[in-house]
Amino acid sequence: MRTGVAGTSLRLDSRCLTLVTVVYLVCMLSVPLTALGMLIWFAIYPLVGSAVCRIDFGGVFRKSLYVLPFVLLVGVFNPIFDHAEAFSAWGIVVSRGWVTFASIVLRGLLSVQALLVLIEAVGFTGLCRGLARLGMPSYLTTQLMMVYRYMSVLLREALSMRRAREARGFGRKSFKIRDWGPFIGQLFLRTVDRSDRIHRAMLARGFNGTLRFFNTAESRWTASDTAYLAAWTAILVAMRIFDVSSLFTHIA
Amino acid sequence: MSHHFIRFTDVHYAYPGGHEALRGVSFLITHGEKVALLGSNGAGKSTLLLHTDGLLMPTSGGVNVGDVPVTKKTLPLIRQSVGMVFQNPDDQLFMPSVEEDVAFGPANMNLPREEIERRVDEALRAVGMEKLRHRSPMQLSGGQKRRAAIATVLSMEPSILVMDEPTSDLDLAGRRALINILKGFSHTCLIATHDLDMARELCPRSLLLSGGRIIADGPTEEIIQRIKTDSE
Repeated sequence: MRTGVAGTSLRLDSRCLTLVTVVYLVCMLSVPLTALGMLIWFAIYPLVGSAVCRIDFGGVFRKSLYVLPFVLLVGVFNPIFDHAEAFSAWGIVVSRGWVTFASIVLRGLLSVQALLVLIEAVGFTGLCRGLARLGMPSYLTTQLMMVYRYMSVLLREALSMRRAREARGFGRKSFKIRDWGPFIGQLFLRTVDRSDRIHRAMLARGFNGTLRFFNTAESRWTASDTAYLAAWTAILVAMRIFDVSSLFTHIA
Repeated sequence: MSHHFIRFTDVHYAYPGGHEALRGVSFLITHGEKVALLGSNGAGKSTLLLHTDGLLMPTSGGVNVGDVPVTKKTLPLIRQSVGMVFQNPDDQLFMPSVEEDVAFGPANMNLPREEIERRVDEALRAVGMEKLRHRSPMQLSGGQKRRAAIATVLSMEPSILVMDEPTSDLDLAGRRALINILKGFSHTCLIATHDLDMARELCPRSLLLSGGRIIADGPTEEIIQRIKTDSE
């Protein structure tokens, strides 16, 4: 497994994609809340990033919708409490509350889309490796990897328990409410037991609390990475400084 | 100083719940010996194996690997000498790729990168897994997982191999391939198993464990005959 963009002609290092994502998030999230016209241009990155990494943007977009309820919850009170006029179009006055609400929703979706592009391009472990190689403290990357590993353990145990339950469920698909307590309790005990066995296997091979990454297919930083990072940094910083929408208004 | 033998001296072990899993276990496995550890489920085989690597410490008695007593202070040395292959390879393979799993032990030993690469290459070659090195362990068959699990231990270049049920869950072809690989090893081996044919083929000597005690220690053929007689 190579850290980088799998199956593309442009092979990018996971560190490069991580840095571009960080630059993107900093530039995009620092746009003023009411500058919706400026913000909308930042939708370019997830689109182009998906194309470069040969990722299905439709899938990325659909997955990003999972956070929509949370984002809506964050911004839902803005239209209620902020009635100051932002602009009017065709006789309709749009309040600043609605503008900031739309801005919050857009930021939330774009942030998640950028992160999904990164994770789908390099994989979660590739991301952790990239972060470690960028100098993130090892205890943080180890924690991330362990949480990831524990989630897969939890999922597998839950699936096998569900299968066992279905095998004796006589067609009943849902659990009775009173069955949930024992199910979750058993699941927890089983995952603790499984994790204990994994931990023993790690200890037996000298694990001392720090995951050391080793991969002969580890990508190296190349000129393409420098060019990709430089290009996106220039574009994103320019988009942050200059309002591209106003440029079009002036031309019109 | 040789690290190639294991000595148990009157080892007792009780789990935190109070269940006494080992009751006065004593034996010596000498350099290059291949020994099968036989016994029914719950006899204490896995508990005994965990003591060889210091993953469990005796409640009383002592374990020595070569001249080194197994204590908390000696654990790094012990774990370099004793390679432990666990019963379920899914517990042993936790890294994103086979190669990274095989490199996990040597990397923890703080070896130079070139040395880690050499060890990974050799370990994968020994179990015939070179072509699957970049594969995720989750994508491997049962037999491949077992071979990968053995490679993760071989890369640490241990002098002693300890295996818990290495042929369980394997089909006939996978089992045969594994036995052939194990036949080629010159390590001191302690293998806990229910597979009597494998024990007969690989291990000239066997220990029979029952209720946390060693009730027989001798040539494998004799021990197997005794098991058959007892079960009739």
